[in-house]
Amino acid sequence: MAVSIAKQGYNLGHGEHGDHEHELVIYQETRDMRLLGFVLFLGSDVVLFSAFIFAYIYLRTTVSPTWPPILDGHQLPRLDTAFAAVNSVVLFGSGVTMHYALENWKHGNRPRYNLFMLLTILLGAGFLGGQAYEYAHAQIGGWSGSIFGASFFTLTGMHGFHVFVGVVYLIVLWLQTQRNVYDQERYFGLTAGTLYWHFVDVIWVALFFLFYLW
Amino acid sequence: MATLAPGVKTGSYHAVLDHIHPEPTSFIRKYIFSIDHKVIGIQYMITGGLFFLIAGLLAEIIRVQLLSPQNTFVTAATYNQVYSMHGSAMVWMVIIPLVTGAFGNFVMPLQIGARDVAFPWLNLAAFWMFPVAGVILFSSFLIGAPDAGWTEYPPISLQGPPGTTMWCIAIFLIGISSTLTGINFIVTIVKMRAPGMTFTRMPLFVWAQLATAGLSFIATTALAGALLALFLERTFGVPFYDPKHGGSPLLWQHMFWFYSHPAVYIMILPAFGIVSEVLPTFSRKPIFGYKMIAFSSVAIALLGFSVWAHHMFTSGMVPWLQLPFMILTMVIAVPTGIKIFSWMATLWGGSIRWTTPMLFATGFLITFTCGGLTGFFLAAVPADYHEHGTYFVVAHFHYVLYGGSVMGLFAGIYYWWPKMTGRMYDERLGQIHFWITFLAFNGTFMPMHWLGLMGMPRRVPYYDPAYQFWNQFASVSSFVLAASMLLFLYNLFTSFRSGKIAGPNPWGARTLEWMIASPPPYYNYKKIPAVLATPYDFGNPLPYIGLDAAPGATEATPTMSSHPVPAY
Repeated sequence: MAVSIAKQGYNLGHGEHGDHEHELVIYQETRDMRLLGFVLFLGSDVVLFSAFIFAYIYLRTTVSPTWPPILDGHQLPRLDTAFAAVNSVVLFGSGVTMHYALENWKHGNRPRYNLFMLLTILLGAGFLGGQAYEYAHAQIGGWSGSIFGASFFTLTGMHGFHVFVGVVYLIVLWLQTQRNVYDQERYFGLTAGTLYWHFVDVIWVALFFLFYLW
Repeated sequence: MATLAPGVKTGSYHAVLDHIHPEPTSFIRKYIFSIDHKVIGIQYMITGGLFFLIAGLLAEIIRVQLLSPQNTFVTAATYNQVYSMHGSAMVWMVIIPLVTGAFGNFVMPLQIGARDVAFPWLNLAAFWMFPVAGVILFSSFLIGAPDAGWTEYPPISLQGPPGTTMWCIAIFLIGISSTLTGINFIVTIVKMRAPGMTFTRMPLFVWAQLATAGLSFIATTALAGALLALFLERTFGVPFYDPKHGGSPLLWQHMFWFYSHPAVYIMILPAFGIVSEVLPTFSRKPIFGYKMIAFSSVAIALLGFSVWAHHMFTSGMVPWLQLPFMILTMVIAVPTGIKIFSWMATLWGGSIRWTTPMLFATGFLITFTCGGLTGFFLAAVPADYHEHGTYFVVAHFHYVLYGGSVMGLFAGIYYWWPKMTGRMYDERLGQIHFWITFLAFNGTFMPMHWLGLMGMPRRVPYYDPAYQFWNQFASVSSFVLAASMLLFLYNLFTSFRSGKIAGPNPWGARTLEWMIASPPPYYNYKKIPAVLATPYDFGNPLPYIGLDAAPGATEATPTMSSHPVPAY
């Protein structure tokens, strides 16, 4: 999906007609279709996360008598909520900077767009770094030790993978804007990137609540 | 700029497609890696048809084994692999790709007056995942195919042969394909209808595809989650399902059936759509209750998500949950009943022509209704305690899937064959094919009801001699059923080689795809027509303006019900 958009999202606007108005109408129609397709794609991704979230809730409420569960005779510790809270702020902060990056693009403020976009990429990468640190230090018996580790590492790992894909996507978008692939009327790639980034944020809200606060 | 009917004001999306792809000239781009929805539809049909033959042969192995109580035709271990693969292949590699991928792709864009689907390249990618997934699935026989049934319940599937992991990968891949196709179809139907084709003027097949696409893009992703977890557990020992390591096998059943029950409707709704096209055409009557049929498809799709736990009544589920799931399951009979009665009312007093597609559509009505009624028995918790895991269940879902989906598929193939190839098939052979199919089908699966009620469990290679007679009866019938496929293939093959030229509209049908040449040209519509009404009002003039009709299309299209019916 993302590949097809990156490939065609802009090029379609270039007709051989040379009629700017006409091109723009065609671009808007294409964009509407791509937007609906992209939102549906994110919707199906939400279902994928929901399946694992359901699995986590199900395992925790019906299978394990205590939480965190007992492994080899001793109860596993809770996860480090304070550290995860700081890391969450980093991720949510990147959502804010992404919003301003898109707004500045729409208003044609290139320097500020560049600033916010690069900040978003940095914060996203920072979140991934924090997650790597957390994985290395979490004392919950590893991925295959218990259902705690299984659901924690699978769910946050899936989310981390989405963040990683998002960071790569944003870097590609930033390079494209440096090469003037988008203009002020036609920037569907940026809209899709922003949607994707907010989607990753929203999923993290659920995961943070489930794993650290519950 | 796209050419539109004169005087049509619209923000049409067809303009876009002029810019996407010129007609390819090389063989590979035209027939192998095509982005034309019609070619992709036919590719799905050929690939799915091949898999159908393989999965059908697996079924015959089952029936040969069951000819006598202690048959040694295959070992018990092989038998487990055979029925597991038969079920998996029929569900994922045959029926779902054929009803959505083949018919949805070929027919739906034509019926809404579009030049292609919304994302043709995505369509190409989604198609090619399908043969790859099929090859992965079938080659699992080389290293030991999955042997825990098509449902692959853990912990059995966790201990299954190595091929079970390949099964996970193959189904995951076909799931991605199905999700992408669903998204593609929703965007196509929502955004690319011809001007004037409001939602309440869409052909009913398009409504069915819309409801199906909604189901497949949501439900299939849940299955992907379940498969991913099974894959992780088998490969890395991540404990989701194994009770020895703190997991829960019931979790698989919840996640699997949250997909697989809606998948039942993914398999049947497009067949409903096919029947809704065939019945009015050959009764020459407006379809009865257009809106009720359309909305009941959506109602079935929505309700389909709320009934999964009826598969788990005997799995140790919390008892108080059984009642709501029983009631919700039974409620699905309401929209389904609405459809059945609307179809019967359409037939009522019509000038019926018993062509092959019409025979299959009415055969569908009879056998699917029987399958639906036995579903009612299984939905009732107390009855289910007796019937669960017996041949009664096997009989039920074959009545729904063979008597429903596959009969609908046959109706669709015969109905749209002239449109796809431009040639007619041998009508007499088609009718013989129907009667053999209908009788042999009932001969195969009807006895399974008695066997189930007598207590014969499913998935067994050996059985009590008391069940022998009806098993042999079913087996012999199934050989006849398989043989009828040869007749069918012979008919299609000779038709393709030397059939009579069909012309644009051999049936005198009224939906848009019949208004252009057969087979349709690369761009479908030179001019996009505007739509004024539903296509089913036989007796009124055609509801299209600005249609650049194919030569002969209008002559062969009676606009009044008294108009002489064209020869076929």
